[in-house]
Amino acid sequence: MATDRSKRRAWTLGVVAAAILTVLALTGGVFSGLRSAANAVVTPFNWTVNEVARPIGHLLAGAINYSDVVAQNQKLRYELGQAQLKSNESWPLQRQLQQISTELDVPYVGSLPTVAAQVTTLSPTNFAATVDISKGRDSGILVGMPVVANGGLVGSIIATSPEGATVRLISDVNSSVGVTFGSGDVSLVVSGRGVNNGLSASAVPLSTPITPGTKLATNGLNGALYPPGFPVAKVASVKLTPGAATYNLVLRPTADLRHLLYLDVVLWEPTA
Amino acid sequence: MRRALVPALVATLIIEALQLTVLSSLRIEGVVVMLVWLWPLTMGLTGFTSLALVTALVAGVFFDTHANTPFGLTAVVALVLAYAASRLGREGVGDLDSAAWWVTPALAALGGFVAPMLYVVAGAGALDFNLWRGSVLMMMFINAGAFFLLARPMARLARAIANVGERVRR
Repeated sequence: MATDRSKRRAWTLGVVAAAILTVLALTGGVFSGLRSAANAVVTPFNWTVNEVARPIGHLLAGAINYSDVVAQNQKLRYELGQAQLKSNESWPLQRQLQQISTELDVPYVGSLPTVAAQVTTLSPTNFAATVDISKGRDSGILVGMPVVANGGLVGSIIATSPEGATVRLISDVNSSVGVTFGSGDVSLVVSGRGVNNGLSASAVPLSTPITPGTKLATNGLNGALYPPGFPVAKVASVKLTPGAATYNLVLRPTADLRHLLYLDVVLWEPTA
Repeated sequence: MRRALVPALVATLIIEALQLTVLSSLRIEGVVVMLVWLWPLTMGLTGFTSLALVTALVAGVFFDTHANTPFGLTAVVALVLAYAASRLGREGVGDLDSAAWWVTPALAALGGFVAPMLYVVAGAGALDFNLWRGSVLMMMFINAGAFFLLARPMARLARAIANVGERVRR
């Protein structure tokens, strides 16, 4: 009897839980309210755990990785010097390109205004490659704006609040970017393959002259989600299935998506 | 169950905080270990079905509000794991005292192995057909391994909390 009652109670709980989840999933407005409420409840626990765990984590990481950190610091200083040198060298070329872009009425990446933001939170799940950033609507950031960092395209804004925003990385499984290479005659669609799996492009015609090492950049076609010229990825390998009329590309993102600390939101909205 | 509910919810929120602040950045081969699935599973193994389902719902919903994936999927997977584990728990399978030491870890590992696949299937039910494109197999193996290692301490905590209600009743 008691078992029957507990079984009934378990089923009732299950059905109620399913109903609550369905209602919340279907009503976006309720969901945003729930999200803020859930954040408010979890924040004190997060803060406490963070305060306890962070020093321990830093201590362990520092003890284990000290030599790596020193080496990385030296490497970064060297790379910064090289980048500054290149920047100085390429200044006349950039100016020329900017002039041509203005004449052709094509937005030039270098001329677009940007807002620098800090990455505050990484996606907590395995199934979404997103990051939260420290700037939002108050800084002029809107949904759809592209985000760049570490030398390439990182993703685009998918949600904003007054003081924060969420960026969907190009490696997210729901991300796709129109790209081109070389003279810009051929356009491809680059898709994300998950947090650690980089990018891919499928159904590429065999006639496409592409080899490992080729650099791909946004094509900026009419109605595209990104302006032209953002470096997106480099071809890591070309996969051809025997008998197939197309091949697939395995791509490595130009930007280092695993170590995002600061990034730039480009204040540019898609036309469509 | 009512007596155990408050400590269970507090423990769930602490585990949630651990998940969001520590485990989300402490990735193994890029994979996040999903403590929010292991916790309801071990709670289920104590045999308290209602308590397990409540912790599954709370842990899942709180996690889903922080993730940019279809809402409710983590909660659904947690509920399925909690219910399945509680069926076993009611039969005494996975009991820390009477069963062999490896039974609870093995059941948890099985749960950790199946959970990402369940998530992808649930995602298809929510009309998101892209979830399988991530490294699902890697998630399955890493979660299985982590669940195997963490199962016994989590099960001890779950049993201690579930027994709060029992002790009061006695």
